[in-house]
Amino acid sequence: MYRYDQIDRDMLADRGAEFRGQVARRLAGELTEEEFKPLRLRNGLYLQLHAYMLRIAVPYGSLNPTQLRKLAWIGRTYDKGYGHFTTRTNLQFHWIRLADAPDIMDHLASVDMHAIQTSGNCIRNVTADPYAGATAEEIDDPRVWAEAIRQWSTVHPEFNWLPRKFKIAVTAAAKDRTAAKTHDIGLNLKRARDGSLGFEVMVGGGLGRTPYIAQTIRQFLPATRLISYLEGILRVYNRQGRRDNIHKARIKMVVAALGRDEFAAQVEAEWEKMGPGADLPDTELARIRGAFAPKTFETLPAVSEAFEAAKLATPAFARFARNNLKPHKVAGYSIVEISLKAIGATPGDATAEQMEAVADLAERFGQNDIRVTHEQNLVLPHVKLDDVPAVWAALADAGLATPNMNLVSDIIACPGLDYCALANARAISVAQHIAQKFADADRAEKVGELKVKISGCINACGHHHVGHIGILGVDKKGEEFYQLTLGGSAAEDAAVGQALGPALPYDKVAEAVDTLVETYLRERRDGERFLDTFRRTGVAPFKEAVYADVH
Amino acid sequence: MKALTANRLTDGEVVFWRQGQWVEQFGDADLFADDDPAGEAAEGHAKNQPTVVVEPYLIDLVESAGLWAPLSYRERIRALGPSNLAHGKQTRGGAAIAALLHAHGAARSTGRVDLIKRK
Repeated sequence: MYRYDQIDRDMLADRGAEFRGQVARRLAGELTEEEFKPLRLRNGLYLQLHAYMLRIAVPYGSLNPTQLRKLAWIGRTYDKGYGHFTTRTNLQFHWIRLADAPDIMDHLASVDMHAIQTSGNCIRNVTADPYAGATAEEIDDPRVWAEAIRQWSTVHPEFNWLPRKFKIAVTAAAKDRTAAKTHDIGLNLKRARDGSLGFEVMVGGGLGRTPYIAQTIRQFLPATRLISYLEGILRVYNRQGRRDNIHKARIKMVVAALGRDEFAAQVEAEWEKMGPGADLPDTELARIRGAFAPKTFETLPAVSEAFEAAKLATPAFARFARNNLKPHKVAGYSIVEISLKAIGATPGDATAEQMEAVADLAERFGQNDIRVTHEQNLVLPHVKLDDVPAVWAALADAGLATPNMNLVSDIIACPGLDYCALANARAISVAQHIAQKFADADRAEKVGELKVKISGCINACGHHHVGHIGILGVDKKGEEFYQLTLGGSAAEDAAVGQALGPALPYDKVAEAVDTLVETYLRERRDGERFLDTFRRTGVAPFKEAVYADVH
Repeated sequence: MKALTANRLTDGEVVFWRQGQWVEQFGDADLFADDDPAGEAAEGHAKNQPTVVVEPYLIDLVESAGLWAPLSYRERIRALGPSNLAHGKQTRGGAAIAALLHAHGAARSTGRVDLIKRK
């Protein structure tokens, strides 16, 4: 992974000292809350329902064991012993004291981490395929480009006060694991017939109050011209984006208002003015690429006897292998997915002990590499098949071996009204109730891939619009109600879900999901996922089943 | 009835007004009749304590189990702690916490309405 140089470290030290001064001035009354709020938000510090919340950037979801152990230590020392992984692949601590925040920033800086640009109207943490460097599906390592974007966008003076927040995702595989089309900019690496690398550039995606799927404004941008093209997009957005209405300020509104072709024409015109001088020099790109040099892999047989024997001997391990392992590009290795969705647990939460257990496993078996996914899970991208039984046993000891990846209980949920000052309704407890309905692992496997995504308000941090089943908490005369949508997708076939019908009360949601699943099982044809069946039948049989039950 | 609440500046803790001081438990808070000017007076005092609390506001209450509880669900969560893990103020237990847990009633919280207005 990329390691900071002295410039990065000096910048963080300066920023940490500045923040310490700002906190001291606020506590002394020299800054009002109105003056201080934008300063703390610039450093990822929010005031939520019960305490301050610190959102820490995990660039493109990559962590090393030292960093994860430090996060565990911070959780134990300054929080209540756990952290919450988010859909931006960040980590949030929900019980932070303002007075402790400067010390926490210093501890983060000691492991090359920070919380800068995890809030505010700036370019947020860039995300990338969590299987980067491990999957045979990728054209190139997307982390190289994500790191280039991170360096370019960090405290970039021109783009630090955009009309609204701005999110970029990079993928390099046909199978999209980044939700690229829901981003302000989604980048999909491709290789031309002549072997050169380029990006499909998709712009104007976004969720929130008005969801849009990103539109392609360039099919193939030469990869070496990435930074100048991004600058062109950001300049058009900075000029055209609305600053008078927060609900219409995202770039998706600019693309929708201008139309894709006009927006693209303005970007191209801006880009042509800049020329290649605005791009990353080849030497710098090579330096970044060097930090992501392929790991050293052993030459192993494609089939591991130890792994196969463990599957035969232990049904629980076989289930884990079916659901949580993904093919690695090197024979004899596997990608291991770690679910943070134990039945009845809070989606995305990990205790300090669990973080330490994963850090240990990454060191012992996983080439010191850990990834965070936008679906609020963790990944060990490089594990020998021979070692998977030992990794599984250790994960099981830590309560981390839930075999439910991509199944109905692998639910995205925002913190919702249990923690968030903006929320209208709870999301976590709805997720818990649904997961408990599908606690029977056989039944969950029979249902197959089913992405349930829950947001506690229209800001859509839980990505409900793009859930196969999406659930949005709303406030109806002060009570928690939930609107269900069906047929959304965050993958390469991205789509915004379709409303099912009138909102349901809190205690009817899990039951309604159960009914939707039973309807799917009744209607599905060979090999169809829930999403496929929905796309074939439309909403009618699902609507009829749910509202027949409710009324 | 009403009570006065805020978040404490130093740690963000949910606090309630009691005789000129801030306490952590809703059960210890001063209660003001709807037409009692003391509530608004307390809010005025609180707004002059910018180094002690952030954004003080009055909340509406409802009767529950013979005691009083916040009317809005959001305010009950603030007074109790999150519902997914019992590691907030609810760990103290007792009659006041039980009243909060069993309270019914629905309304947007005063703070929430103010937040929407500000937007």
